[in-house]
Amino acid sequence: MKTTFASAVFAAALAFSTSAFSAEIVFSSWGGTTQDAQKAAWADKFTAETGTTVLQDGPTDYGKIKAMVEASGVTWDVVDVEGDYAAQAGKNGMLEKLDFAVIDRSKLDPRFVTDYSVGSFYYSFVIGCNVDAVDACPKNWADLFDTTKFPGKRTFYKWSAPGVIEAALLADGVAADKLYPLDLDRAFKKLDTIKGDIIWWSGGAQSQQLIASAEAPFGSVWNGRMTALAETGVNVETSWEQNITAADSLVVPKGAKNKDAAMKFIALATSAQGQADLAAATGYAPTNLDSAALMDPEKAKTLPDQQTASQVNADMNYWAENRDAIGERWYAWQAQ
Amino acid sequence: MPSFVALPEVATVKRREFRSTLPALLFLALFFVVPVIALLLRSVLEPQPGLQNYVELLGSSTYLKVFFNTFMVSAVVTIVSLTIGFPVAWTLAIMPSRWAAIVFAILLLSMWTNLLARTYAWMVLLQRTGLINKMLMGMGLIDKPLALVNNLTGVTIGMTYIMLPFIILPLYGTIRKIDPAILQAAALCGANRWQALTRVLLPLTVPGMAAGALMVFVMSLGYFVTPALLGGTSNMMLAELIAQFVQSLVNWGMGGAAALVLLVVTLALYAVQLRIVGNESEGGR
Repeated sequence: MKTTFASAVFAAALAFSTSAFSAEIVFSSWGGTTQDAQKAAWADKFTAETGTTVLQDGPTDYGKIKAMVEASGVTWDVVDVEGDYAAQAGKNGMLEKLDFAVIDRSKLDPRFVTDYSVGSFYYSFVIGCNVDAVDACPKNWADLFDTTKFPGKRTFYKWSAPGVIEAALLADGVAADKLYPLDLDRAFKKLDTIKGDIIWWSGGAQSQQLIASAEAPFGSVWNGRMTALAETGVNVETSWEQNITAADSLVVPKGAKNKDAAMKFIALATSAQGQADLAAATGYAPTNLDSAALMDPEKAKTLPDQQTASQVNADMNYWAENRDAIGERWYAWQAQ
Repeated sequence: MPSFVALPEVATVKRREFRSTLPALLFLALFFVVPVIALLLRSVLEPQPGLQNYVELLGSSTYLKVFFNTFMVSAVVTIVSLTIGFPVAWTLAIMPSRWAAIVFAILLLSMWTNLLARTYAWMVLLQRTGLINKMLMGMGLIDKPLALVNNLTGVTIGMTYIMLPFIILPLYGTIRKIDPAILQAAALCGANRWQALTRVLLPLTVPGMAAGALMVFVMSLGYFVTPALLGGTSNMMLAELIAQFVQSLVNWGMGGAAALVLLVVTLALYAVQLRIVGNESEGGR
């Protein structure tokens, strides 16, 4: 009994001392190879520079952010979220305003900056295809929606987010500059034509598994996941035609305990070097306009920011406004 | 037993038993009842006061379909689990105990293995390019891969596998308690084997079957991981819908309403079970 009491006191003292004397912040992201790269490119360097430990947590969960903020028990200091969520949550009072005296916004791609968020990295939905498993690979969204020319299962992102609806409209012949406001009726009608042939992926690793095993030999995937898959020796082809870009954002939940350290962490993460390192490791594009100059030109060529020829930018502001309405309809359609 | 020791009245014993459960009740109140009430409040207060969340939930054909899916999948899983679990429990009960111990170890080991790992294992086995389809095609039994995953079949296989222990264990307990002499008595009274099984044995195992079946059914109602990974979106179950409301859409009013409907249905089922089986099993003692 005595020993347990003593050890409890010791544990409490230890907990107190760590919180009082050695600073630490908590970073939440989506796990997998992307978070590993974020840890290497940002967290480890931040710890080396400032002595502040960065604890990794995740996966990011918007319900958890809401619960933390409402209960005033915010345990995440910096969170990697999707861009459309960031734009909406900032307006809804879920996020701290970022301190642009600490974070240099002058070099950041303005498409991905708001008062509450900065771009974490940006990615493209591209058409990935397992070359060894099929006779021909779909090159654009119209191909991917064509089950006569390209029979078999195809994979798409399961959650309501920028990307799939845009792809359906582009496949149906809507011009890229006429996408917004999204014609949802038309998009769902187009999606209906291939609904039975879709296998949904809910996480990046699953998309890789589906394509590598040829369970669904082609589909709409994050470009970085195909880069990673190619590195493991799978013969995959990436078509950048009409690639649809969307960004992840870094945010600080309202009431985060280590706000100052969080701002410094974001400053490092969005610095030219921080963004260049992450891009080199993931195949996603940097959101700092100076990063490309710091990268191996061969590698830089393969990133989404170089694939601008037929690129389509998902409109994050439109999504922020309509996120709830689209989401409800999306899930209802899926369940039918 | 010495007769001068006064036996406590039944009522006193009951009161004492109740008192000893107080800490547990308090714990439940604090960590279960209070959050449930908070959830109930959200479902009628967010985004504005009123019953609009329930109206939307019960008035939409999509959400009703999700409710239907939930009950249908749970029922199918329960029936298949019973069909497979009964012979297994039976065999275990009449096996030499050393062998039974080994089978139990396997059963429990699978229960203690991470759920996600087990579900992914099924995915690898069942998919079109998976082991099972490759084997069947290799043997020439089929020439096109069977659709075993991303549909109802996948959910049923994956969930039945996970639920089996919950039906086998209570059934095993019930069957073990049956006095073998009863079967001899049945034979002496002229019952043939079939009659002994259907008229004597099966009725005696009803409490075990009902307990196991209800547990499986109720657990299935709230299942999330396995349907999400092995089912298609058109087989969506309620827990997935709730997760979408809570995590992705951040609409806790609707999430709370859906969760409460599930809770009410579960409690109602439990009440039914208490009524049917509760009396019987008490009499059985």
